[in-house]
Amino acid sequence: MRLAVRQALLEQRSFWRSAEYALFTFALPLALLLLIGSTTAGGLLPGTHVKAQMIFVPSILAFGVIVAAYVNLGAKLATLRHDGVLKRIRTTPLPAGAYLTGVFASTAATTLAITACTAVIGWLAFGAAPRPAGLAEIAGGLVLGVVCFGSLGLALSSVARSAESASPIANASYLPVAIMSGIFDPTFSVPRWLSVAVGLLPVRALAQILQQGYTPVERAPLSDLLVLLCWAAVGCALAAWRFRWH
Amino acid sequence: MTQALADPVPLRAEHPPAIEVRGLRMSYGARQVLCGVDFEVRTGEVFCLLGPNGAGKTTTVEILEGFRQRTGGSVRVLGLDPADQRSRLRERLGIVLQECGFPRQARVGELVNIWRAYYPAPRPLEELLSVVELTADRDCQVRRLSGGQRRRLDFALALAGDPDLVFLDEPTTGFDPESRRRCWAAIEKLRSLGKTIVLTTHYLDEAERLADRVAILQDGRVQTVGSVRQVARQAGVPTTISFAAPGPLRRGSVAPPGCLDVTVCGEVAVCRTANAAVALRELLAWAAEHDLGELDDLAVETPTLEDAYLRIVNGGAR
Repeated sequence: MRLAVRQALLEQRSFWRSAEYALFTFALPLALLLLIGSTTAGGLLPGTHVKAQMIFVPSILAFGVIVAAYVNLGAKLATLRHDGVLKRIRTTPLPAGAYLTGVFASTAATTLAITACTAVIGWLAFGAAPRPAGLAEIAGGLVLGVVCFGSLGLALSSVARSAESASPIANASYLPVAIMSGIFDPTFSVPRWLSVAVGLLPVRALAQILQQGYTPVERAPLSDLLVLLCWAAVGCALAAWRFRWH
Repeated sequence: MTQALADPVPLRAEHPPAIEVRGLRMSYGARQVLCGVDFEVRTGEVFCLLGPNGAGKTTTVEILEGFRQRTGGSVRVLGLDPADQRSRLRERLGIVLQECGFPRQARVGELVNIWRAYYPAPRPLEELLSVVELTADRDCQVRRLSGGQRRRLDFALALAGDPDLVFLDEPTTGFDPESRRRCWAAIEKLRSLGKTIVLTTHYLDEAERLADRVAILQDGRVQTVGSVRQVARQAGVPTTISFAAPGPLRRGSVAPPGCLDVTVCGEVAVCRTANAAVALRELLAWAAEHDLGELDDLAVETPTLEDAYLRIVNGGAR
């Protein structure tokens, strides 16, 4: 445990030291937040009395989780493997679990920082504050989101054949799903069959749980919870099956 | 009888071999890579494993390090079985692998420190940095280090846990002569710290310079094992005595001594022999007898490891 904490601290220091990496990890969700916010904030969603920012701010929160936990962790582990760092770790008596826990904890900390920034800016700039009763949903959603997308990132790093391919694979896999899930535009409409398919993927599930924390939405969050849990299990299973040290 | 026993036995008991390999076999599917490898590495020595590519060096070392499960035979490393006591063994091993990267943004001191935290009884940071001459680069980011500095940082990380046994896999591949020298100096320093070192390399001069004993592995077996001298002797590589060929010998008016194998090649005469002392005495007597004066440029060259290696690996004429 102590080792995992130390590892997490080292990973965090390294993350912040790599300026462009840190900058873009933060810049992407924040830029999107401001961009979408500047065009739609204040308006009501068509056919409802829900303010647009109560939906898009939590959507961007979900987006931040995906970028930090899935894309970044996946690419990072693929790079560590490519560079032979994982191989080197394996020559030490450090248990694999402690190392991966440390890396995971560092990812969780980064994710928390991004979502906190997003939430604060969403509140200050667009007046989107979570419901006091929805804080538990947001906290739970974030934890589950990090676990789910983090394990998928771990799986991604193991499936990608090279460090170079990890980032493109990550982007190609989550971006279309994010668009279809209405992350960037809640009014984005897709054919019914596609909507069902997207509903089974973890992106919309996470977004809806977080949206629930801002404003009550009509859909049942229980199925979203289930979807996230299932994908977390899939991610863990894939990672355990395919994870390689070199 | 009692005297013969009295000396070596207590010594052996005090220093059991660092590594004992008996009848080690390994196959990948139907392909047999190691077919009965035997050798022993003594505590405190530099042991070098040589052999052509595909001879099974890497496989052998990976089995010793606990990265691979052997198919058969017995292996003891520091008294432990690497197959099922891997984590206990790791605490006492230092491993320098080829082409192993570092986390890109870490600083030298910080990285060594976290590595120290992985081991139960680490060496002090200052000492590690000074052994590998990186004290001045302590706050330097790892990605800014030169190739030679990186290799020395490899050493520092491998030494972090104060290991009893260090594995070095081709430590100087791709180095310029200056970096090689510094790397060799670092290895010699490790030995002076009392570490047992197992080295694999393709450079025979490196093995010759560093190793107390070498083993030549070929076709999944140890062909020869011993000190460089012993290996050369076993390979039957002759010692070469060369000297400036005197005029009469070149012109053919004086024949070379009949009992020696002497060839004249331009201005140089070369004598190949298994017994340099006898051959030298013969040569000097022959020179005196025919009034050939001093044999100018007289040089005795003991066989190099390279000669012996090539002869063994190519199954050279015995």
